[in-house]
Amino acid sequence: MLEYAGSQRAGLSREQHGIALWHVLRSVDWLLLAGVGGLVAVGLWGIAGVTKFDVPGDPRYYLDKQIIYAGAGGFVLLVALLLDPDLYRRYWKVIFGTLVGLIAVVFLAGHASHGSTRWINVGFFTFQPSEFGKLLCVLGLAGFLAERQRLVGSVGTTAKALGLGLIPTLLVFVQPDLGTALVYLAALAAMLFVAGSPWRHLTALGAAAAAIAVVVLWLGPALGVNFLKPYQKERLICFTHPATCPVDARYNVEQSIAAVGSGEVRGRGPNGATQTRLDFLPEHHTDFVFASFAEQRGFLGASFLLALYLLVLWRGLRVVAVARDLYSAVVAGGIVVALLFQIFVNVGMTMGVAPITGIPLPFVSVGGSSMIANLGAMGVLLAIHARGRASRSVSRRRG
Amino acid sequence: MAILGAIVFVIFAALVLRLWALQVLSGTRYVAQAQANQFRTVRVQAPRGPILDRNGHPIVTNAAATAVELWPADLPKVYADRISELHALARITGTPLYEIAGMIRARRAAGDVLDPIVVREQAPDAMVTYLYERAAEFPGVAMDRAYIRHYPYHSLAAQLLGYVGQISAEQLKALKRSGYQAGDEIGQGGIESRYDGYLRGIAGSARVRVDSFGRPRSQRQLVTPAESGHTVRLTIDLGLQKAAEGALQYGMRLAQSQKQWAARGGAIVAMNPQDGSILAMASAPTYDPSVYAGRVTQKELDAQGLTPATALDKNYPSLNRATVGTYPPGSTFKPVTAIAAMQEHILSPFALLPCTGVYTAPEDKSHHKFHNWDPSTNTGMDLPTALAQSCDTYFYSLGNAFFLLPPDRGQPLQKWANAFGFGHSTGIDVGPESAGLVPTIGWKHSTFTPQSDTCCWQVDRLWKPGDSIQLSVGQGDLLVTPLQMARLYAAIANGGKLVTPHVLMDVENPNGTIVPTPAPPAPQAIPGLDPTALEIVRQGLYDGAHTPNGTSFGVFGNFPVPIAGKTGTAEKVVTLPGYHGKQSQSWWCGYGPFGPSPKLVVCALIENGGFGGQVAAPTAERVFAKFFDVHIPQTGAIHSD
Repeated sequence: MLEYAGSQRAGLSREQHGIALWHVLRSVDWLLLAGVGGLVAVGLWGIAGVTKFDVPGDPRYYLDKQIIYAGAGGFVLLVALLLDPDLYRRYWKVIFGTLVGLIAVVFLAGHASHGSTRWINVGFFTFQPSEFGKLLCVLGLAGFLAERQRLVGSVGTTAKALGLGLIPTLLVFVQPDLGTALVYLAALAAMLFVAGSPWRHLTALGAAAAAIAVVVLWLGPALGVNFLKPYQKERLICFTHPATCPVDARYNVEQSIAAVGSGEVRGRGPNGATQTRLDFLPEHHTDFVFASFAEQRGFLGASFLLALYLLVLWRGLRVVAVARDLYSAVVAGGIVVALLFQIFVNVGMTMGVAPITGIPLPFVSVGGSSMIANLGAMGVLLAIHARGRASRSVSRRRG
Repeated sequence: MAILGAIVFVIFAALVLRLWALQVLSGTRYVAQAQANQFRTVRVQAPRGPILDRNGHPIVTNAAATAVELWPADLPKVYADRISELHALARITGTPLYEIAGMIRARRAAGDVLDPIVVREQAPDAMVTYLYERAAEFPGVAMDRAYIRHYPYHSLAAQLLGYVGQISAEQLKALKRSGYQAGDEIGQGGIESRYDGYLRGIAGSARVRVDSFGRPRSQRQLVTPAESGHTVRLTIDLGLQKAAEGALQYGMRLAQSQKQWAARGGAIVAMNPQDGSILAMASAPTYDPSVYAGRVTQKELDAQGLTPATALDKNYPSLNRATVGTYPPGSTFKPVTAIAAMQEHILSPFALLPCTGVYTAPEDKSHHKFHNWDPSTNTGMDLPTALAQSCDTYFYSLGNAFFLLPPDRGQPLQKWANAFGFGHSTGIDVGPESAGLVPTIGWKHSTFTPQSDTCCWQVDRLWKPGDSIQLSVGQGDLLVTPLQMARLYAAIANGGKLVTPHVLMDVENPNGTIVPTPAPPAPQAIPGLDPTALEIVRQGLYDGAHTPNGTSFGVFGNFPVPIAGKTGTAEKVVTLPGYHGKQSQSWWCGYGPFGPSPKLVVCALIENGGFGGQVAAPTAERVFAKFFDVHIPQTGAIHSD
């Protein structure tokens, strides 16, 4: 189904572990790294303007925090780049167990915020497991799929992968964090696709998803069982039927669209961007950061930001293609699709083309967990790329 | 791979296209939307124009005050903090907590979260300083400049002036087109209401940059400055008004000293008989309109008798008895009967008619007796003498003569009453006003019906001799206002012209230029009025004050300025606490100086005051004394009608 560098060879040979560090560094996808670096830089520039008036008397309050997060994220990226992804494959069960455990801990030590429990307070930092969970889920499930790669066409494999994937998904869903749960599902679908699940399984899964949507949105409420929280349903209704949407619920979207639109071509700058500055735009440093950024930096700034995302995604898809083995390819696929999904839903919601969900914008939204987890995921992508290219160059020299 | 690439491409194409559509294609529209979001236009209150008397003395002015305002959106978010702040605010400003909470709730219910509520309109300096110093403890509390109506003479002319209050829902509905807005202050009653258009000025506007909670984020930027209201100058003479109000108090005391304990109200109209300009208009009891300035409290209104609960107890102080109070005029109506009788040729003014103690209509088979106020009289009188001595029996016979007129002559007494302005409003520029009642055959028919008068409608609806006889002496169903009576005596004084009473003299804009205002209608000559008949009546009125047997001789006989006038003692069935029966309404109406150019007509009424010559005449005398600058010798009143 997919061509990746390791397709012809089953598993890894021992010798490849011996690839020298300098080979890895020499084979880094500098373009991908530049794209990620550019995103972080543009994100910090954006946050500097977006949060300038949020804390009276301290225009750098969020910026300084975010710089620290970016620094920590850069360190995690470097570590991930240096670690051999095969390590994750071997310990996928540990990773997966950690993921489920972490999300479960949210219930116990959870710290309520905005009506949903997503945080764990670890003293200096409120740690959001579901952000890291995106990466951990991909790393773990890919391990399962790689283990079963000879049986990948069987119904059992697909069903078990689905079953495993649904555990963290449902745990996140009941937090409740519908957006992140959907990211997990998108990543799961992408991984099955990259792993080579037959089309008929994927089609059946698509149909099942559609059926579940029907049950959740229509049949359940009709029978008196509500799977979604009232505000979640309201947001969906507002997206599909804006005319019947209550004014309160439409407020955020309308303010957001007005913010984006008022940016025009060149943007209004941090001082003139009144939607942000006068707090008409809610959550403008987190979920609605794109609208705020677009208001301040205009079409030029916003489309440049989207171009950087496109660059990273394009290089990310190339990583899927150059991965040295199935595990790496599946991981890369999951990471790239999860990233794509987040960008689409977040940017789309600020412009009224996607329903409102609490998904942060990768590399831009203020938040340590999101920044560190995303940079970590990029590190894994770079590591896969480096080893894919490195192993080929090694084999070329041998051959 | 290609599939994922295609998905990425499609998604990004969609996002960029949407971004393009919003920011480039319709960006200007959203800029306008964002602009509208951030500025809020607030009204800048215009100082209301002052009200002056005819000589420029201020009667109503504005006092600059500092209002304590509260922006509910800025209150602490934590319930306990919010409550403790409101508690502290209530304690400091003296506005009860439940009132503040009520105002906040009302604002929220109206969907208005952007405007501040006024916690206290007139804050003393110490309170303002205290709140300024502790601004940090009172988030959401702000001070704003406000203008409060100030009444230097307190209750003076209260009913005439009216007061200023927040526009009511009905008023807003009716006046929305004229630029009034919710929360506006508007004149309520009297001059304040009638000339609100001149007085209110034009509110200015200012812009305030606000955040999404409506909290101001910048200083006010004035867009259009407020224009002060115009100055309204009245025809009222401050000195004479004071004298009239003092006279009313004196009259009521005088009546009470004569055991007329129910004399608790009255009215005086002092008017220029030539043009109808009102020089004084007093109504008792009265109230201090400053209770409506600033924060209005139920307690204060109750104390002044301005609420339904206490109005009866305080004898309806908000009522302008001069224009709204209707009373039987009694003998003060006799000039109308006299003129009508002469005009209809049923009376020869210098022929002597008997004035006896009792009158019985010769045609009346039941021999019903109508009594004269003085039962011992038995003499022949001509008309001036009958007026001067107020002989009832003389007029009873005129009444009977009117009754005996053939039906084709109509109802001339009522016709002349109407011609002198009774039965319809005077057209005074300041309301409210009662039309009074001139009973007619038709009125009886439409009033007494099987529905309204089940037992006796067939009898009651008939116009009987007694109705004409009662009407001839201003009794029976006839009802008039003191203002209508002043207008009658003005017409007698000025040679038969009916004036339109008015209180507006002119209006000046803040620069001191006169603003054109509609002129009051010119006095109208009463059609067909015989000057000789008028002259004879005038003689009777002069004699009333200047011949020894005249009913107000004791009061005006030695007055240095010649005064002509008529007393009245009108019986009216009244219900008082613990009493139901007839009480005498004490009247005196007249003018001076007697002669070709009378300057002042005065009509005084003391409710339940007893004899007109004993109470109302000395009351009116005080007004004349002030007007003509006369020191009154303390003369005793004589016992007369």
